[in-house]
Amino acid sequence: MENSKRVIFNKKYWKGWSSGWNIFSILAVVVALVENLLVASSESVDNGPYRIFLLIFIFYLLFVYLVGYFFSSRVKFYSGHFAQLNISLGILLCVQDLLTEKFGTLALPYFVSFAQILEQMRYDALLLLESTISSLVLWLISFVIGALIGVVLGILLGRYRQFNYWSFPYLKVIGIIPAAAWMPLTMVVFPNSFLAEVFLIVLSVWFPVAFMTIGGVQGILPTYFEAAYTLGFSEHRIIQKIVIPGALPNIFIGIFTSLGLSFTMLVISEMIGAKVGLGWYINWAKSTGNYSQLYGAIVIMALLFSIIFALINKIQEKVLRWRQMAS
Amino acid sequence: MAANGKLGGENLAFLEVKDVSREIFNNNGKYLKIIDDINFSVADGEFLSLIGPSGCGKTTLLRVISGLDNPEKGEVTLAGEKIVKPSVSRGYVFQHGSLYPWETIRQNIGSGLQAVQGKKFDQKLVDHFIEIMGLKGFEDAYPNQVSGGMAQRAALARSLVLNPQLLLLDEPMGALDAFTRVDVQNIVYKIWQEKKTTMILVTHDIDEAIYLSQRILVMTPHPGRVKEIVRNDLPFPRKRDSSEFLETRKRLQQILNFK
Ligand SMILES: Nc1ncnc2c1ncn2[C@@H]1O[C@H](COP(=O)(O)OP(=O)(O)O)[C@@H](O)[C@H]1O
Ligand SMILES: [Mg+2]
Repeated sequence: MENSKRVIFNKKYWKGWSSGWNIFSILAVVVALVENLLVASSESVDNGPYRIFLLIFIFYLLFVYLVGYFFSSRVKFYSGHFAQLNISLGILLCVQDLLTEKFGTLALPYFVSFAQILEQMRYDALLLLESTISSLVLWLISFVIGALIGVVLGILLGRYRQFNYWSFPYLKVIGIIPAAAWMPLTMVVFPNSFLAEVFLIVLSVWFPVAFMTIGGVQGILPTYFEAAYTLGFSEHRIIQKIVIPGALPNIFIGIFTSLGLSFTMLVISEMIGAKVGLGWYINWAKSTGNYSQLYGAIVIMALLFSIIFALINKIQEKVLRWRQMAS
Repeated sequence: MAANGKLGGENLAFLEVKDVSREIFNNNGKYLKIIDDINFSVADGEFLSLIGPSGCGKTTLLRVISGLDNPEKGEVTLAGEKIVKPSVSRGYVFQHGSLYPWETIRQNIGSGLQAVQGKKFDQKLVDHFIEIMGLKGFEDAYPNQVSGGMAQRAALARSLVLNPQLLLLDEPMGALDAFTRVDVQNIVYKIWQEKKTTMILVTHDIDEAIYLSQRILVMTPHPGRVKEIVRNDLPFPRKRDSSEFLETRKRLQQILNFK
């Protein structure tokens, strides 16, 4: 255990700093680049975008290493922490390149090298950008509506017994049905496919959020409400100052739960009815049998959904700051 | 000291607890008398303590006085008006953990004031209480980042900024360590001396009751009843090691132990 000897100051980047690992990680990606340059291809691929990608990666690692080494201890911890992981990434890139386009062990059309995916993405750049934006807009509108409905219903159901008594049994039955089951109907009933898609995504989002919100509201200590009554709070103020902040940790759990469902529903609904979007793009790739397009869309989704996830996580950290203990 | 003068019968009717009983059916459907036929009154500006073994109904009684619960029998009046629900004129300090964890100490202290006065509430008053409660430097911390003693002082301040007619304290020092407890006791004493707020303190600490209160109401359990109301006329400020103090303690212990 080399780490046990080292004093680690950073809880998040606990691996600590090591010049050796950092240099190794840069070398690993350099090896991947050299391999791609030297080993002859068995398939006809334009490796340009892939090599540019590797170069950017190398310069990024070098940059982070130098900034960490000379200027910022925060960056130092960060680059040190991920150095070993980056080595594995360099090796992985190298191996997939050899197995696919170089030796053809994993053959076309089902297996595609990362270089080919990047080449395809550059070729389809405009279409992909359009699709991504269209998917993002659709998702954002639907998710916000779904989450809002979930939070509002959750608060009403969690706080007001009568409302809960009369509506929760029905809402539960509706909420438990997979949104996809409504698909054939919505595609016919709604005037255009966009509205149908919004409806389906909202349908997949509201229930997990509502369900978790109810638990959050009901889990708030009764003392908080009693204190509020002796402090002159109105019902409106109780909702604003106790119910919502008190339920927020649970609301975020609901949001994270429904996040995955919303992405699934986004892609599925776009596959069925849409003329734009990443789901449509995948469906189109299927019909032409071009699997590098499929992989391209998957790469974009991985990036897009990760960014959305990270953003919501950041918002959660900010909003729930009060839960952190004194350091 | 001035409040002492009001003792002795002539103005003993600021708060009146009349024939109050609290009877409930518990979760097993069993009929349960928690407190039975409680009668006493408190003068304006008086400091009264409630003591008695755990489970004898002190909290139940205090909640009835606050209006958080209503009695099955009898009534409580404050300045002649029947108490039916909680009000800002009756402050209530809970045993622990009633501060909102998602608000800073300053926001917590100001929360009632803001509810009553609106957005442009009296920030200076909040600052004043931060000062006298010794919370300066911690006003922007969250409750789980400060000590238990600080949190209780903040809870006390949150009720006091509203300038209540009556302050109900349900073992607010009960969960604190000995040093911090004396610290909060002194603050309660100082505020009572300055503001002459009528206070009812529930405690299981006999010394605390003797140190702070003018009368001590001793309760017996099953069901909770008033056993005796002991006058405590030692001059303020009281010395915890004086022979009169120790004598009062002995007397109270005898009352508590007498079956
Ligand atoms: N809502 C309730 N349901 C059932 N039992 C209760 C309820 N409120 C109080 N009790 C019971 O009444 C007794 C008195 O409680 P409490 O007033 O909290 O006592 P104290 O504050 O003196 O310790 C306890 O035995 C408690 O279990
Ligand atoms: Mg109690």
